[in-house]
Amino acid sequence: MTSLMGNHSGTIGYSFSEPTSANVKQHSFYPYTDNGGSTLGITGADFAILAGDTRSTSGYNINSRMVPKVFKIGGDDETGEGANIILSVVGFAADGNALKEKLDTMVRMYKYQHGKSMSVGACAQRLSTILYEKRFFPYYVHAILAGLDEEGVGALYSYDPVGSYEREQCRAAGAASSLIMPFLDNQVNSKNQYIPGSGEGHALVPKKAEPLDKETATKLVKDAFTSAVERHIEVGDGLQLVIVTREGIEEVFHALKQD
Amino acid sequence: MNHFPEAWGRPRNDVYGAYDHSYLQTSGPKAHTSSPAVTGTSVVGVKFNGGVAIATDNLASYGSLARFSDVKRLRNFGDKAMVGFGGDVSDMQYLDRLLDSMDIKENYSHHGNMLNAKNLHTYLAKVFYKRRSEFNPLWNHVLVAGFDGQGEPFLSSADLLGTTFSAPHLATGFGAHLAVPILRRKFPEGTPLEQVSKEDAVEALKECLKVLFYRDARSADKYSIAVITKDGIDLKEDEQIQGQSWAFAERIRGYGAQTA
Amino acid sequence: MSNPFDINGGACVAMVGKDCVAIACDLRLGMQSLTISNNFPKIFNYAPSTYLGLTGLATDVNTVSDLFRYKVNMYRLREERDIAPQTLANLVSSSLYEKRFGPYFVSPVIAGINPTTGKPFICGFDSIGCIDFAKDFIVSGTASDQLFGTCEGLWEPDLAPEDLFETISQALLSAVDRDALSGWGAQVYIIEKDKVTQRLLKGRQD
Repeated sequence: MTSLMGNHSGTIGYSFSEPTSANVKQHSFYPYTDNGGSTLGITGADFAILAGDTRSTSGYNINSRMVPKVFKIGGDDETGEGANIILSVVGFAADGNALKEKLDTMVRMYKYQHGKSMSVGACAQRLSTILYEKRFFPYYVHAILAGLDEEGVGALYSYDPVGSYEREQCRAAGAASSLIMPFLDNQVNSKNQYIPGSGEGHALVPKKAEPLDKETATKLVKDAFTSAVERHIEVGDGLQLVIVTREGIEEVFHALKQD
Repeated sequence: MNHFPEAWGRPRNDVYGAYDHSYLQTSGPKAHTSSPAVTGTSVVGVKFNGGVAIATDNLASYGSLARFSDVKRLRNFGDKAMVGFGGDVSDMQYLDRLLDSMDIKENYSHHGNMLNAKNLHTYLAKVFYKRRSEFNPLWNHVLVAGFDGQGEPFLSSADLLGTTFSAPHLATGFGAHLAVPILRRKFPEGTPLEQVSKEDAVEALKECLKVLFYRDARSADKYSIAVITKDGIDLKEDEQIQGQSWAFAERIRGYGAQTA
Repeated sequence: MSNPFDINGGACVAMVGKDCVAIACDLRLGMQSLTISNNFPKIFNYAPSTYLGLTGLATDVNTVSDLFRYKVNMYRLREERDIAPQTLANLVSSSLYEKRFGPYFVSPVIAGINPTTGKPFICGFDSIGCIDFAKDFIVSGTASDQLFGTCEGLWEPDLAPEDLFETISQALLSAVDRDALSGWGAQVYIIEKDKVTQRLLKGRQD
């Protein structure tokens, strides 16, 4: 009972006279979540493809089976008509949407102010800047931007969450990127492939990566996703394929397994 | 026995620990919501041919205490849309005031309130996203029900992080685990909306609320249900879950030693 | 990176073909990001057509491979016959589970042809002996995600031995090239009924 009698002034709380040592409270609020899914982009001589699955998850729950991850940038508000650049975002979907809207607005403002469409190269640099602006509270997304460059050649730029970017032939991002990317290295960039009979042992000549045609690329995208669906639980439901060519932007949906 | 009168009527410090009155602090760092206080549980919603139905129970809990048993968690936005709130009730009331003032402002404007459920959902999602970006979240997960700009039935979700998604049937909180499987079984995805009648949709929601009442310890059997069609909102706020059967409860056995 | 499975790095994969199986591994041994050796094979032979691949903590790879050499030798002396891959699978499973609460940090893979039935057999394990009987392929190691992707994309049923060799080699090389902890050459075994072909692949040296 000594504890009750003894140190009463220290243990009994007086909210008015004895403020406790103001221990700074930690925020337990975590402003991010992962909505799963995967995206993938491939370019060729006269086209660029961006694809993504349409599943949205939180933890082991499926939020929805139809949430697209690929967006047209700089087109009409509702339909996206008139756009010539596409963007895919995967990671934290709310940040993805915010990023998409910001870039979309800027590309449209550019058109109103300059009377011409923004080039993919310029748009790519702008996207990098937008991401880097939030260097210390980043958009938690892996973005891929695609379109046709000034020569009409397929252009694809991939980004890390804080804006570091690079032009590439192909790129996988998101939950199943580690599954898809080595497959793409092998099939798109012909990595580890050699020309048969071109030499013995070390003298073998590596196979050069040829630009793919649209049909082959589309097939590879579908293969990559059906494979990812088999082995990754956050990938599935639907496949959104968006293809940029000189004729414009074509969008198709395919079914994926729902399990 | 403690003889100091200021200690009377308090939980004993040696048993319960010193009273944490840090929340009464007026100086120090600005505090934001880092956890919800009075909360509502699941919201369930389903689209049908010509409209949307949405339902919640009428309970507001304080932790495990069933604190307020007559709280309406379905709020209307004019006569256009309904919002079902899960999560913090004070944040719900704040958002409801926000939406009401917007409705009034719009109605005073020369064109009248033209905002539909889709617009409302976009607005709410942006409010949530803005607040989460300020590290001062509104601790809710909401469903918005009504019609979009094309006059098609609209049902979409938004949460405290600003995450949004849409589907023919949705549920928040516990309902995401218990109600969505029931709704997906009754109305498989891909089912044309024309094949889902209003009556089936309402019946399905009642079934979901019943299952939630059986298994969600933070739920109640008094509920509200709103049916939104072109004719307007049909809101019932004092419903009672019908046809309960607790026969299954007798067969539940725990993991420990069985005494019966 | 204090996960014992990821300290030394390494990858292993097994595949089924038509009347043949293949098993392959990389050759790297590292300490975190520092490469110590480019000659650390992870596949061990226990009978004419029974092979065991071990990835994970290198010290446990050595210990476990030696332990099974001892156990399989004892089996052969007692039974006066070679061990079948199925039998080895059950031996591996029970031996690992003996250490349920202080496991060896290894992910074993078995590939072989049953000496009596002549049927191909592969399987994989977790570190405490749960067997994964797969009909197509088994992957393990720090590049397992990458291997899942390449195998799922490249593998097809009933591959002839030479095609199986090409498939497993491409799958392994492309996978380890996307993993910082695996690579530095590879070893491939193609196992047919009465013939085993071993090949060394150079691969990228970075």
